[in-house]
Amino acid sequence: MSDNQAPPAPKALRGVGNFIDDRFHLAKTGEKNLRKVFPNHWSFMLGEIALYSFIILLLTGVFLTLWFNPSMAHTVYDGSYERLRGVGMSEAYASTLHITFDVRGGLLIRQIHHWAALIFVASLVIHMLRVFFTGAFRKPREINWLIGVAIFTLAIVEGLFGYSLPDDLPSGMGVRIFQGVLLSIPLIGTYLSFFMFGGEFPGEMIIPRLYMLHILLIPGILLALIAAHFMILWHQKHTQYPGKGRTEKKVVGTPMFPAFAIKAGGFFFFTFAVITGLAGFVQINPIHLFGPFTPTSITSGLQPDWYMGFLEGSLRMFPNWFDFDIGGYAIITGVLVPGLGFMGLLFGGLAAWPFVEAWITGDRRVHNVADRPRNAPVRTAFGVAGITFYGVCWLAGSNDILSHVFQINLYATTWFFRIFLILGPILAFIIAKRICLGLQRRDRETLEHGYESGTITQLPGGEFVEVHKKSSGETVHVLESAKGKDYTPEPTVDANGVESPASRKPMGRLRSRLAHWYTKDNVSFDGVEPHTGHHLHHGTHAEKEKVGQH
Amino acid sequence: MKWITARRRHPLAGYAVVIIALALLGVGYAFVAPTADQARADTLAADAEATEVDIANGKQIFTQSCMSCHGEDGTGRTQEETGNASAWGPDLTGVGAAAVDFQVSTGRMPSMNPNAQMPRRTPVYSDQEIADLAAYVDAEFGGGPGIPEQAPGDAPERADYASEAEYEEALETYEAAYESYIAGGDTEAGMKLYMTNCAHCHSWSGAGGALTDGRWAPALTDATPRDIYEAMLTGPGAMPVFNDDVLTEGNKQSLIKFVEELDAEPNAGGPFALDRVGQVAEGFIGWTVGISLIVACAIWITAKQRAHD
Repeated sequence: MSDNQAPPAPKALRGVGNFIDDRFHLAKTGEKNLRKVFPNHWSFMLGEIALYSFIILLLTGVFLTLWFNPSMAHTVYDGSYERLRGVGMSEAYASTLHITFDVRGGLLIRQIHHWAALIFVASLVIHMLRVFFTGAFRKPREINWLIGVAIFTLAIVEGLFGYSLPDDLPSGMGVRIFQGVLLSIPLIGTYLSFFMFGGEFPGEMIIPRLYMLHILLIPGILLALIAAHFMILWHQKHTQYPGKGRTEKKVVGTPMFPAFAIKAGGFFFFTFAVITGLAGFVQINPIHLFGPFTPTSITSGLQPDWYMGFLEGSLRMFPNWFDFDIGGYAIITGVLVPGLGFMGLLFGGLAAWPFVEAWITGDRRVHNVADRPRNAPVRTAFGVAGITFYGVCWLAGSNDILSHVFQINLYATTWFFRIFLILGPILAFIIAKRICLGLQRRDRETLEHGYESGTITQLPGGEFVEVHKKSSGETVHVLESAKGKDYTPEPTVDANGVESPASRKPMGRLRSRLAHWYTKDNVSFDGVEPHTGHHLHHGTHAEKEKVGQH
Repeated sequence: MKWITARRRHPLAGYAVVIIALALLGVGYAFVAPTADQARADTLAADAEATEVDIANGKQIFTQSCMSCHGEDGTGRTQEETGNASAWGPDLTGVGAAAVDFQVSTGRMPSMNPNAQMPRRTPVYSDQEIADLAAYVDAEFGGGPGIPEQAPGDAPERADYASEAEYEEALETYEAAYESYIAGGDTEAGMKLYMTNCAHCHSWSGAGGALTDGRWAPALTDATPRDIYEAMLTGPGAMPVFNDDVLTEGNKQSLIKFVEELDAEPNAGGPFALDRVGQVAEGFIGWTVGISLIVACAIWITAKQRAHD
């Protein structure tokens, strides 16, 4: 251990400490865990934003439950908001008005809760993108990836239900769309809708039910999943980017206590400050302006919160050309496909990806060092294509606002999005892959020749050359991480030239073809030794000095 | 210059240049672009006009500004008749004074291009001239709904009065009339009527919205009670007609009360109300300001790793 012993703790503390340690033996585990090392990189902090905004959501949510009345019973408002005094509305809406105008700090807490929800889901997305693009979902972290996908899915549902609670105009419209999607499910749709609403839309049951799901069941599951996510992370240790001393077996970073804990603690307060700052200055979900929902109300210019935007967009884009009926029973593909199909595609695709990728590449090794996105061009290109697909859906969800603000024909936006939904991801895939390969080529160049120093020298023979200098050891490490990255699967042909039975089957053939496609364009780093390119020789020390003397 | 030279290779210099360029562009645009105040400048006098109209003057205006598209007899002319793709106009038979007042006092008529929907503009004619024109069209091409005098129109403008005292008196009269008209409505009824009949197109906030085929529903934020009333009576453009049998005078008053009060309502949630665009703007700010700031902070606090960390 260290030479300089810390001064002994005060007696009172020692007494309490020993008392606890004698019973729970915490000192050893405590020390080990407090000194746990976390790799230091900004992109490893993104998941923490989600954790912190979730904590803020829990705290502000508890505050709101103290006054919120989840009831659809009819009441006449007589609170201090004058414009709506004497207007008939539900208890839920009236109590939200009460929180807004009569509870001290109520409006601020409501706005913090709403902004924190937007930030929570946004941070989940960027965290997930980081994990995806760096390949941090690979073995042994597939389970944690699945938990993450579940958290993401639940967070969206949780947001939708929370949005529906105040029973204001957008709430009611959101619930109506939700019911429409339920109804589109063949066979059981109508039953599901009647079960959910306790009868016809809107009935009197839906808000108490959504309330229970919103404040108890879903947050409970989320909390459990987040705890599991963390314990697995703790157990498996965080991934790290390639660099000096960073191997599959050794993590380089900051110890949990005190350095990382202080950083993380400070980061919590920063997250809190940004969310509260937004809540203090930027109006969000002004329910008092929207007014209460009635089943006859419908308005343009209202959207769901951003994270439901892609579903709204897919509903708006998808044509009704494929609706059909079987024996008089309509199958509403125009709602079913964009409403549930797109969501299934997104979450199903996310959940399946680690397994699909492992199956294609045949790579079942343990990976604790994350990929640089350029070194997995096909995965990166897939990710960018996915972002484009999602982005087009998302933008299409605001097509009426875009059309109105930028004065574009509404029909033109719909057609643009329909075409771009198909074309966009293809283009994005090709472009992203090209960029990755270009970066790989540059990496190989840098590794071989060092970096361009910007100094031009004239050789004795009259030739002008740019001096390349040696990259730092750290850079060389990072660049060399591309070596041996591509997994070479077991040869499918044995020594006698006979194909293995598995690869002769159609699935095997498909797999090997996909594996080939997955890596065929990668720039080979085989045999590339650092700083062996011929340009470098012109920049060696001795020669530079010689030039300097002239 | 030296100061800049010393710093132009700073890692943040590129970002600084982009931000400054964007800021200059924004400020420059703000100077060039027309403001809402200019757009809403109204030059119309108060209620005096109703008493005496000069139909001959109305005819004069019609001949000068309307006839080339709407035709000599007001029955409208097609593109073939005018021989010009951007000069044609619909039949004015039976449209009435309310339609003329709405179209001309909001600056939509005379239109430069009948093929495109006209936005609200500064009116070309004075209140008196519009009254003359409306009376002429009403008398000449068959009567329709009259100007709803009970709904207050534009507020008086200082420029139309000789002295400050006269102006203030007119303003006081106008405000009293406005308030008593608004007070006469019922918010709940107005809200229900608005949400059922109007919000589809004009949006919950009255900010307007996109319609099919490149048309749009205009914002109601600049509309006076009389504009709204007249629009309901005459159904301009793609808007359906809500005559006094469909929505009674009282219904209309409640509806107008709801629209005017909602528009005047302060934004309780903070100084930045995002133009009441709602969730799209909120999501945009959440990403561009919220998450971006937090990520910038993450970059900041992880940027430096000290030796003993």
